[in-house]
Amino acid sequence: MKKHWQKPTLEVLEITMTMA
Amino acid sequence: MSTKKMVSLKDKVQQVKGNLVSDMGGEKVMLSIENGKYYNLGEIGGDIWELISEPIEIDQIVSKLMDHYEVTREECETEVTSFLAQLKKENLIQLKGDF
Repeated sequence: MKKHWQKPTLEVLEITMTMA
Repeated sequence: MSTKKMVSLKDKVQQVKGNLVSDMGGEKVMLSIENGKYYNLGEIGGDIWELISEPIEIDQIVSKLMDHYEVTREECETEVTSFLAQLKKENLIQLKGDF
């Protein structure tokens, strides 16, 4: 059985680095 | 204003090597060593990423995805070329002629 299609998207993740 | 796509169905594409890729809950996430950005490719984007580990024509990618997903060729072609254009813009893939 074929899987449900969803539009492929490229999400840019914002990663916050904490200086310690 | 031009609406020309950056990629077309007869283009061959391949991953740019050297990115760190990991599976997270069925979705692929990636760290670009080149620009330091993190990306979430999602599930289908992850499938596409695996298909382009070696040079492959975009219409072949579409055919392989249609084997596994319930989607029309027209919709698949449009959305896959749009996705690959995003990857190209971020320098995550190279087109034939670049390699």
